[in-house]
Amino acid sequence: MQQTAAARTKGPLVWLDMDQKALDDAYDQLVYAPNRDQVHERNVFNSERVRARLGTPKRLAYGPTPVEQLDLFATDKPKAPINVFIHGGAWRQRWAKDYAFLAEMFVRAGAHCVLLDFAGVEATKGDLMPMADQVRRGVAWVYRNASSFGGDPDRLYVSGQSSGAHLAGCVVTTDWEEDYGVPNTIVKGALLCSGMYDLEPVRLSKRSEYVAFTDEVEEKLSAQRRLDRLNCPLIVAYGTYETPEFQRQSRDFAAAVKAAGKPVTLLVGSGYNHFEMAEMIGNPLSLLGSAVLEQMGLA
Amino acid sequence: MNVHPTTPPRAKGPLVWLDMDQQALDDAYDQEVYAPNRALIVERRKAASERARARLGPPRRVAYGPSEHEGLDIFDCGTKGAPVNVFVHGGAWRRNQAADYALQAEPLVRAGAHSVIIDFINVDQAGGDLFPMYEQVRRALAWVVRNAGSFGGDPDRVYVSAHSSGSHLAGVVLARGWREEGLSADAFKGAVLLSGMYDLHPVRLSKRSAYVKFTDDMVEKLSAQRHIETLHTPLVLAYGTRETPEFQRQTRDFAAALRSREKPVELIEGQAYNHFELLETLANPYGLTGRAMLQQMQLTPR
Repeated sequence: MQQTAAARTKGPLVWLDMDQKALDDAYDQLVYAPNRDQVHERNVFNSERVRARLGTPKRLAYGPTPVEQLDLFATDKPKAPINVFIHGGAWRQRWAKDYAFLAEMFVRAGAHCVLLDFAGVEATKGDLMPMADQVRRGVAWVYRNASSFGGDPDRLYVSGQSSGAHLAGCVVTTDWEEDYGVPNTIVKGALLCSGMYDLEPVRLSKRSEYVAFTDEVEEKLSAQRRLDRLNCPLIVAYGTYETPEFQRQSRDFAAAVKAAGKPVTLLVGSGYNHFEMAEMIGNPLSLLGSAVLEQMGLA
Repeated sequence: MNVHPTTPPRAKGPLVWLDMDQQALDDAYDQEVYAPNRALIVERRKAASERARARLGPPRRVAYGPSEHEGLDIFDCGTKGAPVNVFVHGGAWRRNQAADYALQAEPLVRAGAHSVIIDFINVDQAGGDLFPMYEQVRRALAWVVRNAGSFGGDPDRVYVSAHSSGSHLAGVVLARGWREEGLSADAFKGAVLLSGMYDLHPVRLSKRSAYVKFTDDMVEKLSAQRHIETLHTPLVLAYGTRETPEFQRQTRDFAAALRSREKPVELIEGQAYNHFELLETLANPYGLTGRAMLQQMQLTPR
């Protein structure tokens, strides 16, 4: 499965059975999914088509800085459930508008679809804490303002992919009452697709070159270490052509959630790589699309 | 947008078709040169078909002809007088079976149409001859028109969808096969043909001749582009920008030929899709070609 592996001498182990090179590769999607740019091009193309059909989304600010805005694709159903999507991109800057491709499924099923923009790690000096805070504030804003756009604050769901699933994992393990002044149960369910839930091995990988990991970041932003705060059912998903670490992260996280006695469904996308997994979210008949609609009571 | 991932520098040989030498033409009819992820997509398709069957229940299996190959799967949407879509699978004329394409039924059934997925002989079983394949596909499509009422379908709203070599075969039935079956010129109300071949001449010049025994008669009779005058079905033609140069050109040229004869055609260019990935959009009601299929049938995606 690993496309660039040549015979080489294995170095000292740095994580599980992996030496530095193997671990670095396991946190480098391009090694396992060389069609990243092609899939992104397709997502941009399909997003344009969705905007042409649904119209331009409402652009709303959830915070004071320019990046703290969201795209709202609204359904015309009254008091409709809401799905807030948190995009991936290895924590680097990507834009909500390029994920409009998954909005149509939600809107036609009778839900509002919210796509969050937030800072990339380039803009936070490598710090993941402000990013986690932004997406949490984004979700809290949607909860507080749901009725202003016809949404039901009591049916708020979250989805995320890749580093966006990492951040969504942080969202569902937030101390809402203490840190954001909203009830601890504001999120009713989440789809976490191809994410990272324990940052220790990520910190050991070459991602440390651009992410300023600290003990605090690792401890506070590893959802797997904050399961006592988890209050909603999870769908955790990965593809069989993902890197060994991205497969393991999802499997281990799902096992830990289960061991904590909390509801979790693990979905395995047979024949999917990291980037192709997210494409499924826009298809109501797919493994992930049907699961998220069912979770939201829209199937 | 032509991406040829495996090209090392080499001396170009004599041209055999357009600007292509033998190697380039052979590659242009070899999907794996341009779409190395075929095996992954097959895996995905089979998993999705299993899920579709679990949700829809097993299809009704009907024989449309006397041989063992001539069977079709009917997924019933439960509505009497509903429109019907017949899917013709691809596989370089050599591979695949209806059972692994159950996923194509679900967007149709949910939108209120019956879905029929046909089996037919493959070219290896037919000794390299495309005529038996064509004749079986023709009989299958005619069977659906004649017997639509038997499973609650509206015989006046029969549509076709197809991929790759299936688009080739379906294209010929729509262009001239309806006459051989004694059907009316508008027996098929519309078709969505993905990533097909509509003129066999360059295919004959390629290495596909190693397993298809092309003849002059075959090239003439089984090239839809040579029978446009008798084609009366509105077509949606689609290809992906990551397909081989020939698979892109075949669809573009066929669309242009139809337009020049003022035949109704819509051309869809799937940006950043390869040959196999494009088909995945047909099983998605909001996908590029799935939406086009439902729209042609005047159905609301759901």
